[in-house]
Amino acid sequence: MPFLPPSRRAVTPGGRGRFAGFDVLSELDRWDDVTAGVILARLDPQPDYSFFTPAEQATADALFDRLLAQDKEPKVPVLQLVDQRLALDMTDGWFYEDMPEDTDAWRVTLAALDDDARHKHGAPFHALPWGDQAVLLQGIADAEAWHGLKAGHVWSLWTRYACAAFYSHPWAWNEIGFGGPAYPRGYKNIGVDARERWETPDRVDHDPVGWAERAEQARRSRQALTPSPDDSETDQSQGTLLG
Amino acid sequence: MTRRLTDRDVRGRNDSAWLIPDGQDRTDHQARAEMRRFADGDELDLVIVGCGAGGSVILQRLARAGWKVAALDAGPFWDPDRDWVSDELASHRLYWTDPRVLAGDDPVPLGSNNSGRGVGGSMVHFAGYTPRFHPSDFKTYTADGVGADWPFAYDELRPYYEQLEAELPVAGQDWPWGDPHSYPHHAHPVGGNGEIFLRGAAAAGITARVGPVAIPNGRFGHRNHCIYRGFCLQGCKVNAKASPLITHIPDAIAHGAEVRAEAMVSAVVLDETGRACGVRYFRGGVEHFQRARMVAVAGYSIETPRLLLLSAERRYPDGLLNNCGQVGRYVMVQGAAQTSGRFDEEIRMYKAPPPEVTSEDFYETDPTKPYQRGFSIQNVSPLPITHAEHVTAQGHWGEVLREYMRDYVHWATLGSLCEFLPLHDNTVTLAEHTDRFGLPVARFAYTQCDNDRLLMGAAQEKMEQILNAAGACEVMTIKRYAHLVGGCRMATNERDGVVDGDLHSFAVPNLLITDGSVLPTQGSANPALTIMAVAARCADRLIAASRAGTHLPRCY
Repeated sequence: MPFLPPSRRAVTPGGRGRFAGFDVLSELDRWDDVTAGVILARLDPQPDYSFFTPAEQATADALFDRLLAQDKEPKVPVLQLVDQRLALDMTDGWFYEDMPEDTDAWRVTLAALDDDARHKHGAPFHALPWGDQAVLLQGIADAEAWHGLKAGHVWSLWTRYACAAFYSHPWAWNEIGFGGPAYPRGYKNIGVDARERWETPDRVDHDPVGWAERAEQARRSRQALTPSPDDSETDQSQGTLLG
Repeated sequence: MTRRLTDRDVRGRNDSAWLIPDGQDRTDHQARAEMRRFADGDELDLVIVGCGAGGSVILQRLARAGWKVAALDAGPFWDPDRDWVSDELASHRLYWTDPRVLAGDDPVPLGSNNSGRGVGGSMVHFAGYTPRFHPSDFKTYTADGVGADWPFAYDELRPYYEQLEAELPVAGQDWPWGDPHSYPHHAHPVGGNGEIFLRGAAAAGITARVGPVAIPNGRFGHRNHCIYRGFCLQGCKVNAKASPLITHIPDAIAHGAEVRAEAMVSAVVLDETGRACGVRYFRGGVEHFQRARMVAVAGYSIETPRLLLLSAERRYPDGLLNNCGQVGRYVMVQGAAQTSGRFDEEIRMYKAPPPEVTSEDFYETDPTKPYQRGFSIQNVSPLPITHAEHVTAQGHWGEVLREYMRDYVHWATLGSLCEFLPLHDNTVTLAEHTDRFGLPVARFAYTQCDNDRLLMGAAQEKMEQILNAAGACEVMTIKRYAHLVGGCRMATNERDGVVDGDLHSFAVPNLLITDGSVLPTQGSANPALTIMAVAARCADRLIAASRAGTHLPRCY
């Protein structure tokens, strides 16, 4: 195991998580070399931006922060990870006939999002208060069509790239208690409520309430960002989410 | 019940598991270095395009029969130690990631879920489920008035199912559905996800069984035992889960076959008499032509039709073999809604292989339901990125997404496979867009029919019932697709399909199609085993015909 300064042990995004002290990197010496290489690269100092223009960078940064609720340090460098992926054109290949290829789709949709912000609020998207940003995003999530594109395809593009970057990062694994790479070590204790000696039980020490209440709190905190003027519409959509 | 096959029985047919290294390395580099290599000018008995489930089995069978055979694949000749990682995102290169255009009212995302590239094909990253089709799958048109009848019945495939279940080999409990049968290896222990399925099914009065999964449980040659690490979909670094890379390619090479990786075939070529005479391909940036007396295309349901359409020439202006407009039609995907349930206990579904427990209680047509055909239910265990897609599919984002994901260890997941029907207008055609070789890419148009939608709804209801019966406090469902078959289907005549029951094309008798694209229907079963069985049957018939002197090549 390479040296990790104490400040870089058991890091979780925004310092939140339910698996106190769990650090997926503590098992590093039981991973194979190729896997360890790709995981550790995600912790490397990030290279300069090469895909996003400065204007796209500002918009995308705010977009990713809202989509992933990254409101404080330490943050998973989602913007940089997506920038690298698009610069290398590491897409899934396929694209919807009614959308451009992913790289172009990112440029088009970020520009459209910024246009919406300027049109409705007279300021670029990144400069809007969080609440206004959230209202704009919820509007797109709920829409059928958006700037001549299928809104669902746009939303899927944004969330796919955001989640792939965020949930491939060891800090996110620390947050959710996921064991990460498992070769050649494997698992010995499988089954309901069975744990390996190095796995950490789910302990909700900072928020000792049940799952339903926690999910409800999360919904309320997000809803608080998107109050009226579309209250009725928002309530309706949230109603289906609660089902 | 059938007699259990011994190691000797299996080795008499396929020695692959004994040919891979028995130490800490996963690849026999010397065997690959010393592999027989043909020259482009050598006239092969058969050149195969694509080295996945269909292509590899034919390659191995014919090499054993003494044929001069080579299989070309667009992707790499994998070394699991060097090329594969225990990581969701970095396994991207296992998929076909060249551009493909998705169209239709219900476009089907490709990539990780249903495409492969490289030796072993998509079985390199399939979950490992290897159920048989049911006897009813071979005559859905006669029995249910939907789909199509196969040119042969289930009984024709049974011996090949048995052979391949021994060669992979398959582990599972005795199987009560379809044609009841047992498996050569006992079922694996289940993890939390499988326990939940078994618990819920028992409470809901639904029959469930552990398996069938192509992972040996016990000694099998030099294959290592499964370590229950849960990364089956990222390529098995352990050499535990079956894929042709370890189940058929080593034996093929030992019997004088060539595997030519990184060779992108751009056209099947006909001679002046209208017979196939070889394939053009790109390798190392250079275009080559490999001569052969027969050609088998095994590029799967997207690339096989694409290659035939790319091979259009004077006599087949609308695409090779497409004189009756059948190439690229009746492409099928299974409706594969997945439902997750939240439990107070820790499930940690990422531990243990994703394939665990199955129910085929709802596989057959139920006359009391408003739909024809049915669905099966199996465990699936999404890793974090995929689970996040499930959460965002509910409309969650921001703090809600994060909170659901923090709860990851508490969720169990079931997946359904609904038998979506083969439809004339679900097609692969050529797009205007081109790939880096300058070749037009595939455009895949897909639209569901009413029966499909009813099935997907019924499957979701049943999965929710099982999870609720197991004690879930909340469930969520994502509608999605899995698998691909069809596109160049088998039929009894050229108006209904591209190839006959022996996989010879109607139009060009020495041009075969030997992959999943020939399947006329798909059942509610994962297709890998059936694709292999259909290919093994084809190989047997080629060998028999050549010995009888009715087909090239002559008997050796």
